[in-house]
Amino acid sequence: MDINDNEIALTVKGLNKSYGSHDVLKNLDLELKKGAVLGLVGLNGSGKTTTIECLLGLQSANSGLISLLTFSPQSLCEANGKVIGVFDTPSLHPNLTVHQSLEHAALLCEKIVRTPQQVETLLGIERFSKFKIRNLSLGNKRRASIAHALLGGPDLIILDEPFNGLDAGGVDDVLELIRYLNQQEGTSFLLSSHQLPYLENICSHVAILHHGKICVNGAIDTLLSDTGLTIKLRTSNESAAMTVVNSSNKIEILSSDSEGYINLSLSDMNSAELNRLLVENQVAVDELIVKTPSLTDLFREITSENSA
Amino acid sequence: MNGFVIALKSELFIARNTFSSKFILFAPAAFAILQSLLTWLTEVGTSTRNNLMSNSNFDDIVNLNAYGHFVDGMSTGLTILSLLVVAQAAYSFSYDRDTGIVRHILIRRASRPALILAKLFQINLLAITSIAILMITSYLISGFLWEFGAIIEDGFELISEEEILAEISMGLKLAIVPLPAAIAFGLFVSTIAQSATQAITTALGITLAIDIFKSMLGSYADYLYARFQPSLIDASYLQDVSRIVRGYSDVLVNADVLQLNLWAPLPAFVIFVGLTIFSIKRKNI
Repeated sequence: MDINDNEIALTVKGLNKSYGSHDVLKNLDLELKKGAVLGLVGLNGSGKTTTIECLLGLQSANSGLISLLTFSPQSLCEANGKVIGVFDTPSLHPNLTVHQSLEHAALLCEKIVRTPQQVETLLGIERFSKFKIRNLSLGNKRRASIAHALLGGPDLIILDEPFNGLDAGGVDDVLELIRYLNQQEGTSFLLSSHQLPYLENICSHVAILHHGKICVNGAIDTLLSDTGLTIKLRTSNESAAMTVVNSSNKIEILSSDSEGYINLSLSDMNSAELNRLLVENQVAVDELIVKTPSLTDLFREITSENSA
Repeated sequence: MNGFVIALKSELFIARNTFSSKFILFAPAAFAILQSLLTWLTEVGTSTRNNLMSNSNFDDIVNLNAYGHFVDGMSTGLTILSLLVVAQAAYSFSYDRDTGIVRHILIRRASRPALILAKLFQINLLAITSIAILMITSYLISGFLWEFGAIIEDGFELISEEEILAEISMGLKLAIVPLPAAIAFGLFVSTIAQSATQAITTALGITLAIDIFKSMLGSYADYLYARFQPSLIDASYLQDVSRIVRGYSDVLVNADVLQLNLWAPLPAFVIFVGLTIFSIKRKNI
């Protein structure tokens, strides 16, 4: 892979970072293609924020190669605002008003593609324009810090925990905004979050960071389609159902619960074929629930596998 | 220097829109005015009593001259200013790091050394503006309450107005020269401290400790920039000027010490700036 590849927005190769004797990032590799939305997920303390801080040159890595739109973290200021970071804590001057804060951010932009008024409207914070940042709620501080990032029309936006403190409406607005910027302006995004359903909704790619390593990395659709179907089956004839299920090598019994449900995992078989198989073997199917694999399931699977 | 101008614009924007910079601009002048008013009230009382008792002495003549009061106002203002700028310098970077504001500018437009030099430049600019305001205010209030002129006793001119102005000019120059080193020291503490609170307490604590212990260092203190600043335990040349312009002839001026006053702050300034840039380049932000 060419580190200066024009189609690549972000490349990380062999990134290592330790705090004293504690290794936080171990030979981490990551890639984000231009126009993609990559979700970086991981448990608390898995190294997501450290990764982002190393990417943005705020912490120095022990070793590794990082390129953001061909700029290194140390020369990021030469990118003239093409790469922007929005952090988990709203990093705004508490004694400036929202409008002053945006004017200040505009000073830092090489060219303005949106005025402070426009981004205030875009984020729905125009009525707080004259409020000092310190007097805003956490959610509105978060909106203001995202507004900060949009003045200069960046090519790559790195967001650390962008949904923290936002209400449901705020989350929808931010998701819509990310989608709009990604689809209409081709902005690439790296999002780090615990909110897996939101990431699943917006991300084209996902990387799961666990114990300082990227365990899974790829397009969400591909990763989820690789994860087998999960079925919840309820029947009045459980022993017969078990016999049928055990006779097929395409079905794996995951568990059975106290409510009478048997949890099954299917590979190379769909729910209709399972239903037909059971009925043909005289097993009455009372209920058959198809559970579509989600990012949360994949994440749980990966983190439990690696913890074990 | 990558992004120095942008970083400076950013610093000036924040300074224009926040309280602390305005406080630094006007607090020294306000203290000088307050001191002049209190002195005037005290002197009016003493003078009235002396007139009633038909007493007149040299001190009354001296006290009527505005130049001495102007220098006292400047000395008080510069003492306040030197503490304020050290605190402001210590606060500037550490507070920006605490709140995360510094991240925006470092990621977008400015290198770390450019940011530090912009802060240094901005605080020095603030100090110069504050000194100008202090000088104008102190001159006006002194002229309003007393009269500027030569010191004359029994028709004999002890010290001419030209000599007074030359001494004041020298005294102010020597008092202002250590300020950039003091600011650079504050900024250095700002980069190595863990928080803004720690930075301010450390920088002010060390500045006041030097003030207290400088007399114990004897002639070694002459190599410290802080020895020449107007301070709470004032050993600056401005303190001597205050007596010289009042016509007192008991002031001993050591030319070597004046030379050290002029040159000792420069290496201190360069060392602190170098250490600050060295520290900021290695700091996790």
